[in-house]
Amino acid sequence: MNRISIDPITRLEGHGKIDIFLNEDGEVANAYLQVPELRGFERFCVGRQAEDMPNITDRICGVCPEAHHMASTKALDALFHVDPPPAAKKLRELFYSIFFATDHTTHFYALAGPDFVLGPDSPAMERNILGVIKKVGMDVAGKVLKMRHDGHHLIKMIGGRPVHPNWGLPGGVSRGITEEQRLEIEKLGREAVDFARFSLQLFNDIVLANKGYVDLITGGIYTHQTYNMGTVDQNNHVNFYDGMIRVVGPDGKEHAKYHPKDYADYVAERVEPWSYLKFPYLKKVGWKGFVDGVDSGVYKATPLSRLNAADGMATPLAQEEYERMYATLGGKPVHHTLATHWARLVELLYATEHWVELATDPEITSPNFRVLPTEKPDEGVGEVEAPRGTLTHHYWSDERGILTKVNLIVGTTNNNAAINMSVKKAAQGLIHKGTVVKEGLLNTIEMAFRAYDPCMACATHTLPGQMPLEVTLRTPDGEVIDSFQQHLD
Amino acid sequence: MRTLVIGLGNPILRDDSVGLRVVREVAAAIGEVDGLDLAEDYHGGLRLMESMIGYDRAVIIDAIQSGAPPGSLIRLGVDDRPTQRSASTHDVNLPTALALGRQAGANLPPTDQISILAVEADDVLSFGETLTPEVESAVPLATQAVLQMLGLEKECA
Repeated sequence: MNRISIDPITRLEGHGKIDIFLNEDGEVANAYLQVPELRGFERFCVGRQAEDMPNITDRICGVCPEAHHMASTKALDALFHVDPPPAAKKLRELFYSIFFATDHTTHFYALAGPDFVLGPDSPAMERNILGVIKKVGMDVAGKVLKMRHDGHHLIKMIGGRPVHPNWGLPGGVSRGITEEQRLEIEKLGREAVDFARFSLQLFNDIVLANKGYVDLITGGIYTHQTYNMGTVDQNNHVNFYDGMIRVVGPDGKEHAKYHPKDYADYVAERVEPWSYLKFPYLKKVGWKGFVDGVDSGVYKATPLSRLNAADGMATPLAQEEYERMYATLGGKPVHHTLATHWARLVELLYATEHWVELATDPEITSPNFRVLPTEKPDEGVGEVEAPRGTLTHHYWSDERGILTKVNLIVGTTNNNAAINMSVKKAAQGLIHKGTVVKEGLLNTIEMAFRAYDPCMACATHTLPGQMPLEVTLRTPDGEVIDSFQQHLD
Repeated sequence: MRTLVIGLGNPILRDDSVGLRVVREVAAAIGEVDGLDLAEDYHGGLRLMESMIGYDRAVIIDAIQSGAPPGSLIRLGVDDRPTQRSASTHDVNLPTALALGRQAGANLPPTDQISILAVEADDVLSFGETLTPEVESAVPLATQAVLQMLGLEKECA
């Protein structure tokens, strides 16, 4: 079997590598995204105090530590059988909305923007955030950096320190906010709403006004008819912090709605010999391989999935954009992977609107932000929507709260099967009879998985040696017949 | 002249944490020095650029995987090796981030005032709070190298 290897994937955190296997006719037989395994996490955790977990798990990943911190804190609520007071829940959700807005901003402008604003065929050296700013205007750089700065500043103010907060406790949080802080959070929140609306306008003007890009979004190579998962509130509206898990089928009909603690009844994990990654699938549908359709248990948990799995958004401006997106793309559900970028901007608007709602809630400055646990700990599940998908932490402990077992299903993991399917489909649409692979072509394949904003081997950030884009062609026996390198430095 | 010394790494991912260890050793060796800030962080790219705003000079200490023997010290400038896989950037490499910051009017150290001290790592894929032996034994040398870069090296140290 011939093999084309794309290594590394630029602009994807962590180390990833795509292997594309060609058949004897030079057509794509299979495509796999492979990542190195981080070892020994459970062993690292077992034997420690459960209360340490929010400050350990948030170090798994430098991209979404706040998501791990929050899922872990909620798992502790469950483990210690304690229900946080309303003010604590609102403070957590406020913190989490600010984090979401900051994270989605970075993804759109730094990762997605270059693909859309400049196009997949633009030269590699220009296809970055600088190229985006050159095209859309210098003032955007300042807006993006201000949004990031405000978000990081408030996360530090509320969470106690930058990046890795030390805030969440079973039954609540370690401190509240003052009226003075609330005023600042509200002011910056209103500015964030303006920024989110500006971002959607930008998407409208640059992407939606360009027929070529709309065709790319709605084109078959980036489309999968799978199940979709997301967390919903009591009105079946999207919620990032809390609610029920709702799964809808490829036809948009509800397949399941369950409490996050029951995840193991609905989701099973498949192991494949070629990957360290696990491939979760819907248990009641079953594993049928890396295929689309109502009979395949493959599901997605992405911004687009959350919108597909919900009936709407809980805030007015985001609801308008939600309706506009579905009207433009032909109704619900939308299966075009690249529409995930649009969905991410709708979520950005919701996050900023909800930020303001919570910052103006009369209860948000209440000093009643913690209930002390009194029950013996045993087992608990905590779940939030991470920017990259549903995030589940499950802990078991002895009666002293010493951990005996840990299980995590991280956001990206939900999408492992779908990511591989997208890469394969994109490759099949673009590689025929062993066509010499050009860089624009490779980037188009990369766009397929970049839409998922995947976070592989989250923690590793070690400096690389060189960063060539490497393509290796192999004979059926695996011998190298040719190799191309595209240096990006 | 304001100087930032920043160690990058994940504290629970074995050799990935070496930058953090070295910064702590530097802090222990020199204590408080006017105009010098020591920091630990996790990120390259945009976040690293943002943390350098307001400084005239920066020294970055990080783990590297270049194929050299574990524990080797490698001194780099910003443009020597693009940090594209760097630091869960989830965004951009450092030269791009610096260019973006400058475009936005941020007050950043000039490129020739940003130095990177990289320590060759062995294991960056296992969770754990200890360094591998070769990397552990490089910590004093790396600390000394940072002090030298700052012009603060001690006699006979």
